[in-house]
Amino acid sequence: MTLTPDTYDAKDFYDELVAADGSARSHARQMVDYFSGMDPQELIDRQHAVNRTIEDMGISFTIYSEGDNIDRAWPLDVIPRAMPAAEWDRIEEGLKQRVHALNLFIDDLYNDRKILKDKVVPAEIIDSSKNYLEPCKGFSPRHGVWAHICGTDLVRGDDGTVYVLEDNLRVPSGVSYMLENRNVIKRVFPRLFKNHRIRPVSEYPTELSRMLESIAPVDDTPTIAVLTPGIYNSAYFEHSYLARTIGAELVEGGDLVVEDDHVFLRSIDGLTPVHTIYRRIDDVFIDPEAFRPDSLLGIPGIIRAWRAGNVALANAPGSGVADDKVVYSYVPEIIDYYLGEEPIIPNVPTWRCSDPQHLEHALKNLPDLVVKPANESGGYGMLVGPHASRSEHEQFRRLLKADPRNYIAQPTLKLSTAPTLCGDALEPRHLDLRPFILSGKDQSVTAGGLTRVAMRKGSLVVNSSQGGGSKDTWIVEEAS
Amino acid sequence: MLSRAAERVYWTGRYLERAENTARLVQQYSQLLLDLPEEVGVEWTELIRIVGAAEDFRQSGFESTETDVLRFLLAESDSASSLTFSLRMARENVRNTRDLLPQESWENINELYHDARSRLTLAARGENRFEVLSECVARCQQINGVLTGTMSHLSPYHFLTLGQALERADMTSRIIDVVTAAYTNHDERLVRRYGSTLWTNVLKSVSAFQMYRQYCQPQVEGRKVIAFVLNDTAFPRSICWCVNSIEKSVAELPRGDALEEPLKKLRAQLDSPVDADSSAETISELMDTLQKRLGDVHFAIADNWFLPG
Repeated sequence: MTLTPDTYDAKDFYDELVAADGSARSHARQMVDYFSGMDPQELIDRQHAVNRTIEDMGISFTIYSEGDNIDRAWPLDVIPRAMPAAEWDRIEEGLKQRVHALNLFIDDLYNDRKILKDKVVPAEIIDSSKNYLEPCKGFSPRHGVWAHICGTDLVRGDDGTVYVLEDNLRVPSGVSYMLENRNVIKRVFPRLFKNHRIRPVSEYPTELSRMLESIAPVDDTPTIAVLTPGIYNSAYFEHSYLARTIGAELVEGGDLVVEDDHVFLRSIDGLTPVHTIYRRIDDVFIDPEAFRPDSLLGIPGIIRAWRAGNVALANAPGSGVADDKVVYSYVPEIIDYYLGEEPIIPNVPTWRCSDPQHLEHALKNLPDLVVKPANESGGYGMLVGPHASRSEHEQFRRLLKADPRNYIAQPTLKLSTAPTLCGDALEPRHLDLRPFILSGKDQSVTAGGLTRVAMRKGSLVVNSSQGGGSKDTWIVEEAS
Repeated sequence: MLSRAAERVYWTGRYLERAENTARLVQQYSQLLLDLPEEVGVEWTELIRIVGAAEDFRQSGFESTETDVLRFLLAESDSASSLTFSLRMARENVRNTRDLLPQESWENINELYHDARSRLTLAARGENRFEVLSECVARCQQINGVLTGTMSHLSPYHFLTLGQALERADMTSRIIDVVTAAYTNHDERLVRRYGSTLWTNVLKSVSAFQMYRQYCQPQVEGRKVIAFVLNDTAFPRSICWCVNSIEKSVAELPRGDALEEPLKKLRAQLDSPVDADSSAETISELMDTLQKRLGDVHFAIADNWFLPG
């Protein structure tokens, strides 16, 4: 299997492993040599071994189709994606900076609203956001941290610059797949790991439980629970995986009860107190008393218990206000306002359609742009201009004019690629990277994160619900 | 252990046991009716009375024919008394507690449910009925074997045992109840001639025939049969054995003392004497009260462990 210019050509995209002249990038040289020395059938056999290992380990994700849900084996490409440690160290610093600023921002929004009074961010953007939650006002969680677990999506453009594409501050998922991808690749390529210095990712569960303990209202061995919507949720695999690896109880709404502003677990030993809840259900379903009286989900009174300081919720309800894609466009200003620093990782240039001039630009250049709704996730409801039909352009023009506040537009990025096994050949496929940033008493960042790959040729959509795959992500220490 | 998980494991035990008992009961009756002349008056609807579904059966518009009764008891997925329903519920409960139960038990119940669904519809009409039902019994026993043999005998296992033992005791008492009633309602001459066939059927319906003859007596005799399935201390499907294992599991669980009262009453009921002179009415009353006591134990379990606070 060769990765020479006559067989592998990423064209005008930046390739993560292979430079424009066809030579391997220095941090990936050993890996590229290793795979180049393998005959094609051996590589295909290894991919089969990867697939089998995934099935045997029961690593799956759930998709909805025609009212049914189906467990699918998690798709993992056999070739890892690698980044040099020196570059990663800088990115890690940038992620900590960004999430730190976002937490100061959320805390400010629910309390003094200084940034709005100083007109750095327009108040109407916050006040019109459906993720700005009334019951959270006038409260500050322990350490002032709201977004305890953040999944920030990074992409690399054709000039090699890494950008932040979006921040996921509500219930970001994928970290269990990052951990399992490494376990699988280690099993299938033990030799490859012997010859490299690759940062381990296995610290994450320890860091997660340390963080969850640090935000608990009691210091002495707090009880931690992972709150899931149940087995029909698409991320149930991850919920159960994380609960098991951090030794927490996996609970559903009905397992919890609030009495005298304290939260308890219904167990066979009776009611036992819970101190930190890592909740994997959406804000508005968490407490029917505070948000949706019609909801059958959730735990009545849990917001009261939270505000009384008797239970920690991760992420704190209301964190999603900073998850809005219009707010995203202000993050450089937010970092400057709270920290007086330049952002270490830049944003993708963004036109806010709420601004008439920006809207005009977006309408005029729609076929070249990516348009995203402000509050969707999972790649839904967006337009990729160059890949869309004329009638889709027209449809989005109408949507933008009707509800400009709800849309942003960005240039279509030339996302970087990496060699990916497609059929029996290695071909360039576009990818992104989702690191996970934990914030409690201290901050920590995963070594790398989850690399998602758009498996269809030319596609930019990496979401697993829409046919995306994944890669193990290596942060490689280079011998100096 | 979470209350919700305890409840699901308990119902896994109940539904698995109910599935196995239903399969065995239908199979046994199918055999019995081949042996009895019509004038004895044992009908297919007796099965409906045994599982306590007379009202449901009437309302769902089925007729008292063999095919309809068996459709209702085996294949009808909307009928809470059907074998298909029990298997589906067992599967749902195992699916929701996969973290607590051995992986094989999930695979087995999942396969059993999918295999049985279509075959039970055919079996209701008579196609391969014997084979299909035998296989259901065997595969339920296989799952029980996996659970007993590969699960730590701690809280989850005890909840499973509670569900199984209560369900088994309940079913046994119902069989005794219905057969006793049938026995007295019929022409004395016929009963004398076919009595031992009827009581043999009771024994076979709870898999007790062989052990009864080995350890009680070779002749099948009504009162002895009742005493055996009710009070034999060594036979694992007798009601006495079930109550013993309920008591043992309760003692192993936290806060088990809350069940002291209902268990005491259940035990007392079981100890009320059945002798050669007991009339059918007395036995029927005894069984009714026994079922009520078992129900009280069920509610006490639910109150204490499934819905605390």
